[in-house]
Amino acid sequence: MNSHLPILIFLVPFFVGVSMPILTAKRPSLCPDITLAAVIVMFLLAIANLYMVQTEGPIEYALGGWTAPIGIAWLNDSIAAIVVLTVTVVALLTLIYGRVIVSADLAKSVPYYTLILIMISGLVGLVFAADLFNVFVFLEVAALSGYALVGAGGGKAQVYAFRYLLLGSFGATLYLLGLGHLYVVTGTLNMADLALRLPELMTSTAVVGGLIYIFLGLSIKMALIPLHSWLPDAYTNAPSAVTPLLASTVTKVALVAWVRIEYSLIAPNVEVSHVPVLVLLEELGVIAALIGGALALIQTDLKRMFAYGGISHIGLILIGVSLGNDTGFVGGMFYLINDAVMQAALFMIAGAILYYHKARTLDDIRGVGLHTSPWLTGALIVVAVAMVGLPPTGGFFGKWNIILGALEAEHYFAVFAVIASTLLTFGYFLKVFAAWFHQTEFVEAKSIKISSGLRVSLGAISILMIALGLMSDSVVQILLESVNNGGI
Amino acid sequence: MLELLQTLIQRPNFVVFVILFLWGIYIMAAHPNFVKKLIGLYIVQISAIFFLVAFSAKQGATVPVIMEGAAAVEPLIYANPLPHVLTVTAIVVQVATLGVSLALVAGIYRKFGTLDEDKVMEQLK
Repeated sequence: MNSHLPILIFLVPFFVGVSMPILTAKRPSLCPDITLAAVIVMFLLAIANLYMVQTEGPIEYALGGWTAPIGIAWLNDSIAAIVVLTVTVVALLTLIYGRVIVSADLAKSVPYYTLILIMISGLVGLVFAADLFNVFVFLEVAALSGYALVGAGGGKAQVYAFRYLLLGSFGATLYLLGLGHLYVVTGTLNMADLALRLPELMTSTAVVGGLIYIFLGLSIKMALIPLHSWLPDAYTNAPSAVTPLLASTVTKVALVAWVRIEYSLIAPNVEVSHVPVLVLLEELGVIAALIGGALALIQTDLKRMFAYGGISHIGLILIGVSLGNDTGFVGGMFYLINDAVMQAALFMIAGAILYYHKARTLDDIRGVGLHTSPWLTGALIVVAVAMVGLPPTGGFFGKWNIILGALEAEHYFAVFAVIASTLLTFGYFLKVFAAWFHQTEFVEAKSIKISSGLRVSLGAISILMIALGLMSDSVVQILLESVNNGGI
Repeated sequence: MLELLQTLIQRPNFVVFVILFLWGIYIMAAHPNFVKKLIGLYIVQISAIFFLVAFSAKQGATVPVIMEGAAAVEPLIYANPLPHVLTVTAIVVQVATLGVSLALVAGIYRKFGTLDEDKVMEQLK
């Protein structure tokens, strides 16, 4: 029973999602409750799974009892367990938030809840998958529901969802091509198997080409600059109720898939025609971190600014995991977990402002007197502290470990990029604070009664950001042990 | 040059794949019509599937089902089932993508009354 936890975490949202139209045929108003119940079950299972992995060590779950090279394997190690727990926590908080901040027609729509659950199940599968083709399938399961959820905003959102779909599907096709190349050369798709056969084949153009296809495909999915153009438009126009979930998980989990591939298939110090691969990836991360931060600084639309902030953080994480040492890797993974929580918090705040005050840009915010709203202001301060990376929030410890790793690898440019992107983050939060606290003229603060659901989600996510910082030692230790045991 | 030509002629499948792939990208990028963009995307996806099928094709091979009581298993006479399974799954994914994308295109048409990207963008401004 215990060893079946990964598949249970996957199947709960999948089955509930698929059978949602039947379950709620008589009473459509039950949809939010059933969805929430399914995610709570997932959350409990994910905690049990993390506990089991901690006590019994990582296990390879063989689907249907067929063990790895022939069957499909799922790898259930500490990193997967922690990321799955993060996804379920963020999903849970987003659903609580989404009960309040939701447009009337979406709240009654059965397919909307089905899509959310299927997307979560796709993300869970993507984290566990230890087989390249399995990654492709779950990538598409998560992405297809993601396109539909973005499009659920209606009107403008549909156009941007369509663009997202074109780019995303193109990325998936590139990934499929890369996987085909690797299969032609090695005859296997299992990551552990590939890791054994690839190192001596790194001179083959088919292998290098295949890895490049895979990286390009996944960089579209994770919105790595310069392949990020779909993200700001899509997340700005997606329905507020679900944007926290989309922004915090879809790109991050695609990055987790890439990290698994990178960590198991690309050894440190490997060079392809005199180009050190990991350093190349690290520099791409540097570019993304700097340009993403700079683009965030010039935005005036709150959601757009936060979307670019997320893009810059993808770069930071890529720097961390590509440094080639454990400190940087653990820092990157820890920052990834933090970033998922922070992005959710940012889009919750932006969505709540849009819902209550119809304020989208910084100028709108200046005119509504938000500083009188303690919950939103408190959450914004906590998330700003976490995004900039000050202790005691988790953001600090992630960045700290990335910088330590970069110093260990003697890559001073990466250190500079992390610090510079921190300053850029500070810069755009200053803009937000300036609009938030300084009114140009006196405005009568519109008193808004913030309902308990929003209070719970904002409060919980703020506590979570600080708790991640306070518990950073144990989380980093778990990640470090997992890396040392040859995990991932 | 001659050598390059020779390698190309020896790999007609690969050449077809490359042509389809680039053609699809061109259609996706060049046509402002949403449905034509979708057709381009579909051609790109078909090219990837063509690639998978092309490398797994084996002349004179039979289905990979081992008969009961067969003496020795001869791997040479069986086709490799895995690429075909991948292909079927990839086609299923494509069909799902097509469904979602057509729904989005229909939604856009109902809202904006046109399928031309430039006109839609003008209305959005």
